[in-house]
Amino acid sequence: MWRTILRRALSLIFVLFSVTFLTFIVSYLAPGDPVRNMMGGRQDPVRYVFLRHLYGLDQPWFQQYATFVLHLFQGNLGYSFKYPERPVWDLIATGVPVSLKLGLLALTLSLLIGVPVGIFAAVHQSTWKDTSIMGAMLALYSIPSFVMIPIVWVIDLALYKAGLPYLPVAGWGTPLHVILPVLVLAAANVGFIARIMRNSMLEVMRQDFIRTARAKGLPERLVLRRHVFRNALLPLLTVLGPATAFLITGAFVVENLFAIPGIGYLSIQAIGQRDYPVIQATTILLALSVVLMNMITDFGYTLADPRVRIE
Amino acid sequence: MSYKKNWNLVISAFVIVGILLAGCAPTKSAPTAAPAAGGTLRWSLEGINELPALDPPLAGASQSVGVISLVFEGLVRLDSDLNIAPAGAESWDVKDGGKTFIFHIRKDLKFADGSPVTAEDFAYSLNRAFSPDFANGNAGYYLSNIIGSTDVTEGKAATVSGVKVIDPQTLEIDLQVPSVYFLYQLTFPASFVVSKKAIEANPTNWTDTAFGTGPFMVKEWKHNQSITLIPNPNYWLGKPQVSEIEMPFIQDPATALKLYQTGELDIMGTYNFPTDQLPSVSASPDFKQVNQFFVTYIGFNNARPPFDNVKVRQAFAKAVDKATLINKVLEGAVVQADTLIPPGMPGFNESAAKIQELSLAEAKSLLAEAGYPDGKDFPKVSFTINNQDPNYAKIAATLQQMWKENLGVDVEINTEELSKFNDDLTATANNPTDAAALSFYISVWGADYPDPQNFVSQQLRTDVGNNNGHYSNAEFDKLVDQADVEPDQTKRLPMYQQAEQIALTEIGWLPLYYGKANLLISSKVQGIVVTPQGLFPQGDWTKVTVGK
Repeated sequence: MWRTILRRALSLIFVLFSVTFLTFIVSYLAPGDPVRNMMGGRQDPVRYVFLRHLYGLDQPWFQQYATFVLHLFQGNLGYSFKYPERPVWDLIATGVPVSLKLGLLALTLSLLIGVPVGIFAAVHQSTWKDTSIMGAMLALYSIPSFVMIPIVWVIDLALYKAGLPYLPVAGWGTPLHVILPVLVLAAANVGFIARIMRNSMLEVMRQDFIRTARAKGLPERLVLRRHVFRNALLPLLTVLGPATAFLITGAFVVENLFAIPGIGYLSIQAIGQRDYPVIQATTILLALSVVLMNMITDFGYTLADPRVRIE
Repeated sequence: MSYKKNWNLVISAFVIVGILLAGCAPTKSAPTAAPAAGGTLRWSLEGINELPALDPPLAGASQSVGVISLVFEGLVRLDSDLNIAPAGAESWDVKDGGKTFIFHIRKDLKFADGSPVTAEDFAYSLNRAFSPDFANGNAGYYLSNIIGSTDVTEGKAATVSGVKVIDPQTLEIDLQVPSVYFLYQLTFPASFVVSKKAIEANPTNWTDTAFGTGPFMVKEWKHNQSITLIPNPNYWLGKPQVSEIEMPFIQDPATALKLYQTGELDIMGTYNFPTDQLPSVSASPDFKQVNQFFVTYIGFNNARPPFDNVKVRQAFAKAVDKATLINKVLEGAVVQADTLIPPGMPGFNESAAKIQELSLAEAKSLLAEAGYPDGKDFPKVSFTINNQDPNYAKIAATLQQMWKENLGVDVEINTEELSKFNDDLTATANNPTDAAALSFYISVWGADYPDPQNFVSQQLRTDVGNNNGHYSNAEFDKLVDQADVEPDQTKRLPMYQQAEQIALTEIGWLPLYYGKANLLISSKVQGIVVTPQGLFPQGDWTKVTVGK
């Protein structure tokens, strides 16, 4: 098992290294001059040259990349182009806990809803209950959050106008502010997890040992609880990695529209402003979280399933 | 065993969510704090998720300029009619035909922390703004006319030789060339006075609790989220009445509108407004609309055929039906622009509007005179726009059709990503005959200060930085050079107007429209003035109150 973990760790380093290179080279090759962008309408050739030098943009690309990686190892993410004199880490630091809170709450909520819904659908396989629930789940899964959010807003605004209790439409700070974004962010994941859970249940129900359990006269309830459910949970572990990636992409839209000061919010603006150091930092950070989550999943899987361990 | 662990995790997560949900039982969300004496003003900063800068020399983005103007102040300021008014300086004398300014600093002027402000503080702030540490600031751009300023910027000197402290109450500033708009340039944050003591006590994070001599001071800057200001008890006009200004950073203006509609904001739209939502709010009594000093125009590459020929430029201009473009295509969300100097700015000349008026017959004959009767043999030209503003595509398509129908000319539309567009525009400015140089394009300009110099000399004088299209006319240059140094406004403005006539006739620019600022201001907010610049400059913050 340790060899598996070691191999995973090595591949993690490789993946992250590739991510640093890709984000760097894409930023480098993208059309548009960040210094010109920074200077806006007030172009002065002397200042232009000075600023290019200040940010090291007058060096050849391989040198820029080497400096970038070297600084990265020293934990130095560089200085933002957009926010003069502000280190990138300083900008990101406050966003990390916010995004983490949002993501973990959404993940927990989607598991809490998705798992039981998936089980329910599997148990009632091919009945109208199953079809309608799975239809609803497919809809949740496929409605993008930028469509979902305006719908939620319209409902909320109607509640406000009717003088009924309503939730803050955006912002961050109080527990009330958390509800709408977590619901929207969790919605797509609920659909995803419920479908996985259902398929996994059905997969296990077809296994020989389930037939054996039924044949030896075990009541159906016990069959489901002891044999099917426990085994069906396993594949769900593998879903955590993709689900995290899912939450991150979702967070870009959700944080932006709900004005939540997380990493996604920062990234969107950095992209619009050509703030390469910030884009690079957030990309690496998000890549790291997905890769780590995948690794934890693998690790958990190895612990939980003896068959994987033998391989 | 591992399953049990999973269950523990799930159960504890359930408990966490339960607690959270319990904490937010669906009661009506009340405003965070009960409004105190003058009330809390909740005012969104749209288009950002973090305030770009709060240190005055770094002011660039309009949101930064806005907040800085609430916290800091300089020697002079603009009143709400956009005239120069005293601020840190009680009065001033202009000597040497506009080359020397003597400022008399207000007696008992204080920083918000109560410490006195003297001429030394203003000198310190100017030296600091020019220092190489602020290379990406704007002092160099606005104030390089001050003698010795470039030496400091280039690191050759530590202090600006043209800034002299005569005594604690008197500051002298010497300019290289006489300038009337120098006072206007001092109203831009670059020269605002900052506290040396506060900066030296906390060089890296002093702006987190920034204060100056402005009406407010920073109470808390929650990075990536919001900034809260409280009144400056030592403000020279008196302590403002509002107890707090809460300014959340909201990237998407549609989000800010929703917050306004649910009563979570008192002012929105200052920096960006979701224009597609205009129909739903324009009937509201809270809705305010003002014309801005912000022009969208067509620039021509005057150094390369076919637009090096003035007749071709004139033909293209006279073939544009601006009224249809503005009223039908842009649905009246903007104001038609026909002059260089915008309405509301000193020197605006309504009669100049006729110069570029639509005239199909004239357009046709001009094009024929240029050698392209009915557009025959007209070379293929690309009309370049950037993708930043969704309106540009609509405008370009409309104009393409107008030029086709009215002149018989085929124009190709070239849409570029903003950064690429900026690069190409720079290429055009650097080398107009280069292959990458643009033929003609949509560009914008917003006033830095309400003086025609900013819209005439700084845009179209031969070889100035903003003259990307290389328009050049000797008489125009002579007029604006004179006007720029003429101290007498009554002589000066007619010179700009004459220059404007020349540039409009020769189509140095083809102005299309001025922007409109759309604002929602709750009726609870009293005493606030809406100016052509939006909510800035605000004449007197001490008069603003927020009711219940």
